[in-house]
Amino acid sequence: MSKRKPYEFAKPEKSGKVFWTSLEAKADPEAFQARAAAEFPEGVVPDGLVNSESLTLKRRTFMGVAGAAGALLGLEGCVRRPKENILPFTRQPEYVVPGVALHYATVVRSAGEPLGLLVTTHEGRPTKVEGNPQHPSSLGGTDGYTQAGILDLYDPDRSKGPAKREGEALVDTTFAEADAALTGLAGKLGQGAKLRVLTAPSNSPSFLKAQKDLLAKFPQAKVYSYEPVSSANRRAGTKLALGQAADVSVNYRRAKTVVALDADFLGTEPGAPRASREFFDARRLSSPRDAMNRLYAIEPGYTVTGASADHRLRLAARDAGAYLKAVAAELAALGVLADIPAQGEGDAATPAVSFEALRGAVNGAKAPATVPAQWVKSVAKDLADPAARGRSVIVVGTRQPAEVHALAFALNAALGNLGRTITLTSALDTDVGSATDGITALAKDLSAGAVDTLVILGGNPVVDAPADLKFGELLAKAGTSIHLSEFRNTTSTKVSWHIPRAHALESWGDLRGSDGSYAIQQPMIAPLHGGRTDGELVAQLAGARFWRAHELVRGTARELLPGDGFEQQWKNALHNGVARDYQPAALGNVALATDALAAAARTLTEGKSPLSSGNLEVNFAADPALYDGRHGNNPWMLELPDPLSCVSWDNAAYISAATAKELGIENYDVITVKSPEGASVDIVTWVLPGHTDNAITLHLGWGAENVGRYGDKVGFDVFPLRSTKSFGFGDGFTVAKTGKRYMLSQTQETHSMEGRPIAIDASYEEYKEKPDFAEYRSPVLSTLPLWTEVKYEGHRWSLVIDLNACSGCNACLVGCQAENNVPSVGKEQVARGRDMYWLRLDRYFVGEDEAAPQVAFQPVGCQQCEEAPCENVCPVNATAHSPEGLNDMAYNRCIGTRYCMNNCPYKVRRFNFLNFTGQVPETTRMMYNPNVSIRMRGVMEKCSYCVQRIQESKIAAKRDARRLRDGDIRSACQQACPTGAITFGDLNDPTSRVAKLSKLDRQYKLLPEVGTQPRTSYLAKIRNLNPEMQG
Amino acid sequence: MQIFPRSLNYLPLIAALAVISGGAGVTFAIWYYGSPWNTQVGYAPVQPVPYSHKLHAGELGIDCRYCHSNIERSGEAMIPPTQTCMGCHAVIKSDSYKLEPVRQSWETNKPVEWVRIHKLPEHAYFDHSAHLAAGVGCTSCHGRIDQMEVVRQDQPLSMGWCLDCHRDPGQHLRPKDQITNMAWTPSTDAAELAARAEQVNPPQHCSGCHR
Repeated sequence: MSKRKPYEFAKPEKSGKVFWTSLEAKADPEAFQARAAAEFPEGVVPDGLVNSESLTLKRRTFMGVAGAAGALLGLEGCVRRPKENILPFTRQPEYVVPGVALHYATVVRSAGEPLGLLVTTHEGRPTKVEGNPQHPSSLGGTDGYTQAGILDLYDPDRSKGPAKREGEALVDTTFAEADAALTGLAGKLGQGAKLRVLTAPSNSPSFLKAQKDLLAKFPQAKVYSYEPVSSANRRAGTKLALGQAADVSVNYRRAKTVVALDADFLGTEPGAPRASREFFDARRLSSPRDAMNRLYAIEPGYTVTGASADHRLRLAARDAGAYLKAVAAELAALGVLADIPAQGEGDAATPAVSFEALRGAVNGAKAPATVPAQWVKSVAKDLADPAARGRSVIVVGTRQPAEVHALAFALNAALGNLGRTITLTSALDTDVGSATDGITALAKDLSAGAVDTLVILGGNPVVDAPADLKFGELLAKAGTSIHLSEFRNTTSTKVSWHIPRAHALESWGDLRGSDGSYAIQQPMIAPLHGGRTDGELVAQLAGARFWRAHELVRGTARELLPGDGFEQQWKNALHNGVARDYQPAALGNVALATDALAAAARTLTEGKSPLSSGNLEVNFAADPALYDGRHGNNPWMLELPDPLSCVSWDNAAYISAATAKELGIENYDVITVKSPEGASVDIVTWVLPGHTDNAITLHLGWGAENVGRYGDKVGFDVFPLRSTKSFGFGDGFTVAKTGKRYMLSQTQETHSMEGRPIAIDASYEEYKEKPDFAEYRSPVLSTLPLWTEVKYEGHRWSLVIDLNACSGCNACLVGCQAENNVPSVGKEQVARGRDMYWLRLDRYFVGEDEAAPQVAFQPVGCQQCEEAPCENVCPVNATAHSPEGLNDMAYNRCIGTRYCMNNCPYKVRRFNFLNFTGQVPETTRMMYNPNVSIRMRGVMEKCSYCVQRIQESKIAAKRDARRLRDGDIRSACQQACPTGAITFGDLNDPTSRVAKLSKLDRQYKLLPEVGTQPRTSYLAKIRNLNPEMQG
Repeated sequence: MQIFPRSLNYLPLIAALAVISGGAGVTFAIWYYGSPWNTQVGYAPVQPVPYSHKLHAGELGIDCRYCHSNIERSGEAMIPPTQTCMGCHAVIKSDSYKLEPVRQSWETNKPVEWVRIHKLPEHAYFDHSAHLAAGVGCTSCHGRIDQMEVVRQDQPLSMGWCLDCHRDPGQHLRPKDQITNMAWTPSTDAAELAARAEQVNPPQHCSGCHR
């Protein structure tokens, strides 16, 4: 606790809005102020949970360390610097110039959808991924998962070679032996009656072809697909509605009204980067005259989609179908569910659709009891608005059953959205069971003893298969089991053969998106530890002569790309990162299977047993950091704070305040969650404002064993609670107190600005009334500049962050971390407020309603103040101003007084309290960006506006004797951002985007009253509220 | 009653000695810091191949960029690949014992292990291409390489030395076509130097070199 008194500021004019960071802060703002006034907030974690002694340096240790350091210092000058060698190539590869980064286009699978990438490689080492603007599912943006994927590539705990079972243990072996065993095995399979293959649902044409070849060789073999988080239900729903499998892609840019039903389409659902870009494009405001879309989110937990919603309804996941049915009934009453007459001629003809059966099925449907009446009426009215015909979309979350997807599909058709906001493409993979069908069938085969050889491609089914299948026990019944996996995870420890799998950046492959785009995945580096791809293993098993992935992918491309000139097309596809010549197979005329739809709609009813604290609904969600556990050993992802709860290094049982009170539990309490099947899991509680009552959200992928040095048993494994019945969600769960407490690291109160609201928002109506409300709400400058003001000639760098386009997805944080070699610090350091994020994401709850607050996100990095308070207090001039207005940080000059950190009103300076970069394994070092210094202990660091990129571009311009163009320099956060919320540029160039954006009426600066004159501007958030929903 | 012990009588003497020796120490440290022992001017390690810049660049007059070919594109000065050596030495002096390591490298595909001479601290991001684009000649930092049998460090490469030029670059700037001309001498016309310096505007702030 600092001794100084908080400054007295002219209070901003009362806006009527409350911004708060945590329930505790809202309940007692003064105690919060006191906590926030300290440099590092204390009392955030209750006493006794953090072992404060564990990191205190003992005096004797200090003397020892200091003495040794002094001795070294004395020696340094006298000893010859070590001899260093330069090793040039013997034969210089074409294009490789030491010191010049190369960029290659490729594609990876992220959350089930392809994501086109441009990968930066330094002398053959991939170091950074960026979105490929030419690829339709990236549009230049990425997500956090993909940004962190680069660290997975260099994971020191990846499997280093094949292994076979000898008795109880896995013994390392060679690829030669594994290949021989595989060939021997394939020879004994006969017709393959006892061969089973388990794979993740695939959208890779070459893999599906290899799979087909395998089934041609072994006609009686079976291939099952399973993934713990998958969009199988959505495809099954589409099949139900259409009678045939089809891929669905949504164009949010055209949608005026979006209804997200338990769908985190901006966060963890497939295709989020593209959805984010398009969704926020439709609400990008340059003046109050611009149009803005409206998002209704209905969800049990609190996701980033809910945070971006204009209206959000808390609803248990099991009642989503019933709610949609009620909306359908209302739409029918409004006459929207009318029959569609036949249209068009020839190929473009669409047959007539009769919704009579569906109208009958939804007739009189009532919304679940907890849903306010206007949530059905107003939403239906907005959808039915004739001006919005064909310009709306209802999107349903992948964990919802197929029937809900089918009904939403029918409503979208009735609203005229097909072909407008929703595009159908012929499906590549026509296997359209529900999410658990594949694994259930495999479990049945295994228990019937029908499996002799089981090939598991990736994944970790022993851990993540539905618990009631007891897959781990059944696995022993397969004679020979082969697991292809990047890590030797729990499944690997139970099989007879383990073969390392190549990372996506190490292997050839191809992926087709649900929008029909086809892209080739090319390797950036030879597999670090050998490693095979899924397709290679399947082709090897099928006895293919050319089983290398390169041949498989080229062979498939030769079939898929039409016409002559394949070589040129292939080269273009590799160069552009997407094959433009590819045309997906024609879907043919689609007709709604209206009877099946009506039958599906009839099954949608409100849950029978009312939810209460004794009958809780549990919903299982993909984790915003670990997804389904695949990034489980990635320190960036483990540390990444959850966007809503700000919990880092853990998952928790998210629960509403009311339910927690009823159950008598509070934050940090460990509870036992019991499933109706009798399984139980101990997990820490976290009260999340805005969570649905009588429901618990559990994030998947944490707490597993055999993950690696960083992620082993970190967090809580919730897979044991998940059964085939409660795969997405289920009711009948109970909670018991254990009386134990658990230390949880979270960042919601760290780096807070002494309680001053700095995220500013307004409704669309308020904005129209007073376009410069943001300026008006922020108090005027109260201090005069300390120094003579500098007139910046030349460049004047600035960053503009549009809060109205920030979804809170965290991609910028991870992108910044990758670009700037920012270390992860570990759970305890995070709890002490010593996280190292150069760019942090502040999350504010907005509004008086503690049960259902709105959320505002605000990314905060160094504001590059023109009157920088940090510079005035540095005794050694380690932080100084550049003539372009950057607040430079010279690490090697810093002596670690931390005065600057203390004096920074934005709390954006980060101090290396410990040697965070000291124990980084050799393989991980390969990932470092060579253009940014690695900082040592005792040194201050902070956001530099990616000065290495600025310098690089300036030098390139100088080399080519040209002027810098707007857009030449993009900061890492800007480039990673899927929504385009961040813009970097030169304020002195009046035509630059940043100069234009910084003149918008919504523009404001953070804490302008302090007189720091920040360079970073923010554009206030606008919510497009439906007047009928208020009051 | 004596308050102070007798031994304290030596205090002024000890203090005086301490001041003198301390002052000498500080003086020595500062002097040493700027001396070639510390900056390593003249460092000329034995290289695996007795390659003579004097012969190649001086007498034969091969342009620097024949071997250091990407120097105008890259921040790093590249040491040429073995391939470049073999381009000539596959036919010229193909049996010289001095070239044995080069031939071995070519056959085994293992690099020749050259010893680094010009080493900047890792937090200094020097960029060759930027300096060449500005018109700084090779000799400004590397000296008369064309006269060196064995390459040695010619300049201190310290931050103060860098800044000397960044503050007043005129002396070291030349027309772009004279960059690799070892014998080029700057003009004595002050106005011309000033005009040239005007064009380059070298950075003097931290992030110009430290990132």
